[in-house]
Amino acid sequence: MNNWDELITIEQMEEATRTLLENGEKVGADSWQQRAKNQTPHCGFGESGTCCRICTMGPCRITPKAPRGICGCDVHGIVARNYLRFTAGGSATHSDHGREICHTLHETREGGNYQVKDPEKLKRIAKEWGVETEGKDIYDLAHEMAELALLEYGKPFGTQKFIKRAPEHTQELWAKADIEPRAIDREVSQSLHMTHMGCSSLPEALIRHSLRSGLSDGWGGSMMGTEFSDVMFGTPKPMDTEANIGVMDKDMVNIIVHGHDPSLSEMIVFYANDPEMIALAKEQGAKGINIAGVCCTANEVTMRHGIPMAGNFLSQENVVLTGACEAIVVDVQCIFPALGPLSKCFHTKFITTSPIAQIPEAEFIRFNAETAGENAKAIVKMAIMNFKNRKPELVNIPQLKTKARVGYSVEAIKKELDGVCNSHVDEFGSLKPLVDVVKSGVLRGAVAMVGCNNPKVRPDTAHIELMKKLLANDIIVVVTGCSAQAAAKAGLMDPDAAKYCGEGLKRVCKLVGIPPVLHMGSCVDISRMMILASDVAKDWGINISQIPLCGCAPEWMSEKAVSIGNYVVATGIDTYLGVDPYTKGSSEVTELLQGENGLCQQLVEAHFIVDTDLESLGDKMIAGIEAKRAALGI
Amino acid sequence: MGLFDRVFRGSDEMFAKAEADVNAVVAELGENAPMKMPDTAYYLACLYSYLGIKVTTLGELKAALPAVKAMMTREYKTKDIFTSGVGTAIAAELIEACKYARCENPYEGTKYHGHFSDAEVRTLGVPLVTRDIPGFVVMIGPAPSKEEALEMVKGYQTRGIFVFLIGGIIDQLEECGITMNFDVRVVPVGNDIWAVGHIISLVVRAARIFGNVEFGDYDGFNTYTFDRIFAFVNAYAPVPDITVACGAGAIQMGFPVITNDTNDMWRVPKSLIINENTKDWIETSLEARDIKIKITEMDQPLNYGNAFDGEIIRKGDMRLEADGSRVDCCEFCCTKEASEIEDHAIILDGPDFDELPEGGKICLTITAEVSGKAWHTDFEPVVERKFHHMINCLEGVMHTGQRDMIRIRVSKAAFDAGFRAKHLGEVLYCQIKSEYEAVVDKCQIRICTRPEGCAEARAEANKSFEARDARLKSMTDESVNEFYTCILCQAFSPSHVCIVTPERLGLCGAVSWFDAKATHELDPNGPCQIVTKTRCTDERLGAYDDVNEAVQKYSHGALEKVTLYSIMEDPMTSCGCFECICGIEPMTNGVVITNREHAGMTPLGMTFSEMASMTGGGVQTPGFMGHGKQFIASKKFLAAEGGMARIVWLPKALKDQLSARINETAKELYGIDDYASMIADETVVTDDLEGLMEFLQKVNHPVLGLEPLM
Repeated sequence: MNNWDELITIEQMEEATRTLLENGEKVGADSWQQRAKNQTPHCGFGESGTCCRICTMGPCRITPKAPRGICGCDVHGIVARNYLRFTAGGSATHSDHGREICHTLHETREGGNYQVKDPEKLKRIAKEWGVETEGKDIYDLAHEMAELALLEYGKPFGTQKFIKRAPEHTQELWAKADIEPRAIDREVSQSLHMTHMGCSSLPEALIRHSLRSGLSDGWGGSMMGTEFSDVMFGTPKPMDTEANIGVMDKDMVNIIVHGHDPSLSEMIVFYANDPEMIALAKEQGAKGINIAGVCCTANEVTMRHGIPMAGNFLSQENVVLTGACEAIVVDVQCIFPALGPLSKCFHTKFITTSPIAQIPEAEFIRFNAETAGENAKAIVKMAIMNFKNRKPELVNIPQLKTKARVGYSVEAIKKELDGVCNSHVDEFGSLKPLVDVVKSGVLRGAVAMVGCNNPKVRPDTAHIELMKKLLANDIIVVVTGCSAQAAAKAGLMDPDAAKYCGEGLKRVCKLVGIPPVLHMGSCVDISRMMILASDVAKDWGINISQIPLCGCAPEWMSEKAVSIGNYVVATGIDTYLGVDPYTKGSSEVTELLQGENGLCQQLVEAHFIVDTDLESLGDKMIAGIEAKRAALGI
Repeated sequence: MGLFDRVFRGSDEMFAKAEADVNAVVAELGENAPMKMPDTAYYLACLYSYLGIKVTTLGELKAALPAVKAMMTREYKTKDIFTSGVGTAIAAELIEACKYARCENPYEGTKYHGHFSDAEVRTLGVPLVTRDIPGFVVMIGPAPSKEEALEMVKGYQTRGIFVFLIGGIIDQLEECGITMNFDVRVVPVGNDIWAVGHIISLVVRAARIFGNVEFGDYDGFNTYTFDRIFAFVNAYAPVPDITVACGAGAIQMGFPVITNDTNDMWRVPKSLIINENTKDWIETSLEARDIKIKITEMDQPLNYGNAFDGEIIRKGDMRLEADGSRVDCCEFCCTKEASEIEDHAIILDGPDFDELPEGGKICLTITAEVSGKAWHTDFEPVVERKFHHMINCLEGVMHTGQRDMIRIRVSKAAFDAGFRAKHLGEVLYCQIKSEYEAVVDKCQIRICTRPEGCAEARAEANKSFEARDARLKSMTDESVNEFYTCILCQAFSPSHVCIVTPERLGLCGAVSWFDAKATHELDPNGPCQIVTKTRCTDERLGAYDDVNEAVQKYSHGALEKVTLYSIMEDPMTSCGCFECICGIEPMTNGVVITNREHAGMTPLGMTFSEMASMTGGGVQTPGFMGHGKQFIASKKFLAAEGGMARIVWLPKALKDQLSARINETAKELYGIDDYASMIADETVVTDDLEGLMEFLQKVNHPVLGLEPLM
């Protein structure tokens, strides 16, 4: 019965990529596949984290013959310092995205480019933060909240406001471990300070601060990014869409949005539906305007508007290779500089919009909250006018496309669960139905699968194969980021995919009316998963670390992913990685992070598990979930 | 202990008992002894359905044990509790089967029903489709008190829910003195939990009969029951492991379990629901199974529900009776001008029930006067025929017959509860307005109990009845411009389509051409759609391109073509709820017809159940065809094969019911007098073909002169 092969397979996707690369060859295009080959083998010192280039006495590389750097720092100190810097990079990136959102919130006004679409959510957060909402104009409130939110980045005293959302036990752990996140910028600055030449080299201190810096991201910057995006653009609710490269349409003007910040893409989506623009597109010989997304920008617009997902991180070149991409419009993060030269091989306009992500061989249209409408309109128009420049002989859109139901914010999940409540015995608006199915054993547990693609892993294979394994074992999977798109591309977000799952999950999906893999959003939206875990713990009356739940990033690659890993572990959730972090060079750091009784486990009741073997990683997750069940006596 | 362990222990317990019982009966009677459940064509239906195993001997029964055991896997996944649960139900069936191996009717003389016949299963078809039975409840164990047991069962009855009972609740209800049997839809199945095997047997046969699910298709049966059979379980505390295991099977089938047991019990949303307030179970259960019940508010003192439709009121319990065969009675629906009707007026002419002598036979006429912009006089008989059901759903009121041959009895209990003549009017008014709201704008009810008034009303009505009959008689397939589809049954039989014509009513007997027409007008996007008849390709067969296109469309491609008048060439399919089944008898070149009510053998060597199992579920089986009773007397019956002259055998009761019309048609078609007497029945011959042949020759049956059928 578990005939997953009826879905789109990795092989089909690889075949599609192969034909696209052939397209590229015709025009002399470079590819990440080629560059990855060129870069292999990778530097062993870099990979194991044992190269220190923080000061100009070095670079120092640790070998058995040279066990210490010039300053005397040993391998453990060097690896731990590199790890903290990596974390700080990710934390800064996510949080700065959050900061942009807060600024945009400050720009909202009645009838303006940006408005408050979910006033109830804004009021709810305001109440949490102790801000009076009665009798206040919603935009006054939005501006007040934006200022308060921005203060979270630099406030001199106190800790992140959102940590009060965590269960009491978790908050106590953080306080006891002295890792309650303070001002977000402070934690990033302190990371750089601690790792400066001549500061910390005690691995324990460096790892502890990695957790703290991560928490300032997950329970600070990212959470604000998510929450205030919902306030401005609407809290996601279930909607149907499509995924994979076949969502591009050869008869339409194809505009690909790529990156992470929804402020730009929201505007692009708006103007792509503008009758004037559609008329213009028709004038230019197209049937209309088709917006599709790549990476987390795709996630943001699919969650709120059902915009189809063309692909994930390692598909970004594919969309250009179709020869049918009029414009690829990017904001920030995970954008290959390769898109510059690649777009020149085709008629594609590569448009950068953020001062934060400026790339050679791109057209830069600086995007501002104040001028967002004009900017977006100009971009859409540029794409439309580019339609006629398409070279028909180069158009190749592989016909791979699946259905997907997306939009599972925590609020939406609770709403869906209300559908299986019985008004005679249950309370509505809680996660108790989920708790009950897990307690009874109908579902064994849940896995939050997140993260990127990485050429070190056969693209999407780890995501998709691990998911299938979990689903077959009655483990529900919640996803964000490129993992979400991997699932969508393979058809795992089609509610119909439930038929391939274990009987328990199959039944749950049928009763609730959900697909077996729930799309929770972009990578900043992993903050949603933290809230979900917290609310489950509260509704169940246990600690987060006791829930049969784990995190997994099987194909991760970015600094953001390490920051995420730190806050997920720090929240009490064991996290399984399919790609080694740059820590192999230090047994001590490895033990601190991964030890079953290491520092992480002691401080926050969770740790990392790294295994680059797919099968064994999956087995370990299932065993981990079953062990948590056994410990609970269920 | 975890839920899974409870299921596993319970299923082990049931299996151990099944194994022991099977071994004991084999030791006693030997492996070659026959194993047959009565009145079914489906062997041990659970075993046959879920595992595809046919059992006809005790040896085969024993040989099936390992396959059942193999379902009881133990890997601590939901799949394991599901298959173990279904395995438990099958084991229960085996335990019960052992009783039937020893004795044909082991429950005879007890208060328990035990096994359900195929005929009983088939009677559920129409009420399930029409949602007259919106669902089934299986109540297990003793309720907290007998009063509560009674209240619950009455509550379910008034909502039309079919009630199956297992265990102590049966004794409690017996003490309350209520009627329990299949007809009143409260069935005391058995005392022990393994009686559940009978219920699941009924369920899987329904899935096969109406849904044509393949035997051995485990997932197919579960999908069908989940999607289409609205059953649920009420299990009173304490719920032992063995019941929990049965519950797991029920949940796999899609039937939620509601219990008040909190000890070692695990909530599973929409599946296993704990509600300690047992009095709240009806609404909890209906919500859990997504059953919505339309209740029409009526100002009258009695319980009202489909469950009371089959209730019988005996002479001793009767306060008064109107009997059309003795005095002037009638029921009549007629069309009036809007200005002549005061909506909701109920006009009583004559003494009320309390002014009439107890036990007396009274005159009674009931006239519903209707007007409406979309109303048509053709709807009169459609609505009028519903009076029977509308009145019969009153607890304590019994209605039989129609037109001027009605009989209505009002029980003493109903009378004591305050039931009076005006309440009959109230019920009719409310039901007519609610069921036919699209066409009835105004309605008033006249009730007469004054003998002279009744005589007048009866004479008036009879004029209309005669006019209607004349019109009906003139109605032929040729005289109308359109036929209708009926896909009411698709909720249960997804690929069956009936084509309803004036001369061929729906095979369930419940949908005439007028009914279909009315249904179409009431709900233009509903189950009855117009089928044009402009492109006839073969008049003899009754083959039309229009019909074929409709059949293809509404069967979603499952069917290519059907003919209206042939049993051999593309015969019309059946949903499974047909009144009669007709099958060819090659030696005589004739056909044998039997009906659902006839339990006995036919000359084909098959009972109704066995013949019925040859078709149904939308499957086309040349040589077998389901149809309505009235079709037999039609000129179009098997017209392609020579018409009713092909009929060589009919059950006597059915023949008697139709003989007047059969004789009339035969006279017209063949010039033969008293044709009905030439058709054999069980008093002449049962399964002796030579005897049948002799009889046909003796009476010079016209079939002897017809072309061979094959």
